[in-house]
Amino acid sequence: MVSERLQKIILNELKLDSFDLHDETTANQVPGWDSFNHINVILAVEKDYNIRFKGLEILKVKNIGELQKLVDSKLQ
Amino acid sequence: MLSFISFNHILQYIDFNKVQQLFVYDPTDQLFFSTSFFLFFFFALLIFYRIFSKKKNLKIYTIIFFSLFFYYKNSGYFFLLLFASTFINFYFGSWIFKAKTHWLKKLLFISVIIIDLGLLVYFKYTNFFIQIINGVASGNIQLLNIILPIGISFYTFKAMSYVIEIFIETMEPTNSLRDFVLYMYFFPNILAGPIDRAVAFLPQIAGEMTASKDDIGRAVFLIMSGLFKKAVIADYIGLNFVDRVFQVPLRFTGVENLLASYAYTVQIYCNFSGYTDMALGIAALLGFKLMDNFNIPFLATSVADYWRRWHISLSTWLLDYLFKPLQMSFRRMRIYGSALAIFITFLLVGFWHGANWTYLVFGLFHSTYLAVSLLTQKFRKAFYDKVHLTGTKFLKAFQIFITFHLLLITAIIFRSDSLRTARDVFHQIFRYFHGVVFFQWVAGYTQVFVLIMLGYILHFIPKSVDNKIKNIITASPVYVQAFLLALMILVVVQVESAQLQPVIYFNF
Repeated sequence: MVSERLQKIILNELKLDSFDLHDETTANQVPGWDSFNHINVILAVEKDYNIRFKGLEILKVKNIGELQKLVDSKLQ
Repeated sequence: MLSFISFNHILQYIDFNKVQQLFVYDPTDQLFFSTSFFLFFFFALLIFYRIFSKKKNLKIYTIIFFSLFFYYKNSGYFFLLLFASTFINFYFGSWIFKAKTHWLKKLLFISVIIIDLGLLVYFKYTNFFIQIINGVASGNIQLLNIILPIGISFYTFKAMSYVIEIFIETMEPTNSLRDFVLYMYFFPNILAGPIDRAVAFLPQIAGEMTASKDDIGRAVFLIMSGLFKKAVIADYIGLNFVDRVFQVPLRFTGVENLLASYAYTVQIYCNFSGYTDMALGIAALLGFKLMDNFNIPFLATSVADYWRRWHISLSTWLLDYLFKPLQMSFRRMRIYGSALAIFITFLLVGFWHGANWTYLVFGLFHSTYLAVSLLTQKFRKAFYDKVHLTGTKFLKAFQIFITFHLLLITAIIFRSDSLRTARDVFHQIFRYFHGVVFFQWVAGYTQVFVLIMLGYILHFIPKSVDNKIKNIITASPVYVQAFLLALMILVVVQVESAQLQPVIYFNF
């Protein structure tokens, strides 16, 4: 389940008004989420939650559900 | 009795030394896709494949056996090096997967990458580095007698994709050494790609491994178009025009140098994409789907777009395994971090092509194009918005034109034997143009001119038209397909200019 907070950060960063983000949604399905904006999204998530990912952790992430899990694991 | 005599008679006429020669490695007589010897062997392979159609194990060993022979025939005893590479990556893959702690995983991973890159660097770049050291320190180190094992840049990258994906946990290792050997040695893509990923290839071995009617139609189309592009267009214009100009550019006017550059651009496209088409077609007949490598590259509206359309299996490999990790570790530098990552990545793309300053400068140009394009993206977009050009056909045409000529500059550097030759070509184009020579050139080189135009026309044919032709071939009876293929082979044999030209990418 993707939290509202994470959805808001992503949509805000990609300047999208609304877009349905599910666990299985991948970056290339979301308008504007290319490899360059990907960095901005990751930085925005890190800033908002005040957490830090390792490079390898982010490379392993395949969809938004996994990103949520990664964020949750950092918050624990 | 009679038959015995005639059999003896026949035996007298067969030169067994020659027959034996066919099976032994000979650097001057290699087994490329467009040779008749290859076609003969491949036909034999297909017959065995058909006989074993119910026994998958035998099918797999048939391909492995043929692949080993194919690689041996092209590279001699270097097939042992490929053996080593295959075993090392297979076992490291499984050790990385089984390692209990993260640091052990990392240690194993770094070790195998060092081995892979070490072999590649040793065979490809040692003499280049020795030359640099000699140049810088006026030393006198002897160059080593190193022969480049054919296809090493391709199979090393294939092997690396396997261990990298296991390390980043996007795939699990295979338990079957047999399957991994098939992946590494698979003859359609071993010499010049596509650089297929283990994650997409290995599951296909677990599948049916049979060609459907659609596959056969597609294969016939691909092999025909590949043969035509490679053996008719690329070889002809290369041998009869491009090679001559690039050998001594100063002997030709600027307009001829410019035409040779346009010709080379389409030559390398037809050479490499033609070869890839044949590889895809041959693999399709065995029931395998390889990665697509080209998508109308000269229709690109930016250099970044071009790399999404040209040698796709290499560019996506580097984007996924090099650019993305770099970009991620430079992320605090935001857009400058991305620009730096792209700069490093494409500098290495240049260097991957070989140990020559021309390839490094080629990479440097692409790096600079991409980094500058990224950094000025916002500014350009704002400008196009302001002058109401965004989304117009004019803008698109303009971008395609500019991109193509940016690529043309790098193609000249890429084709030149040395930076000096490249400089001569640019000098002639800008200082000694003599436009009127164009008409004489067309009159003198009519066939070359027609083939260059034909090459560009074939390149710009939309995929939808390709698909329509494919469907027509698929729908036609087998004997019509066989006839079409035989006809194409006949055309190729007729046109085959003097000697067989190897695929340009074999040397990389």
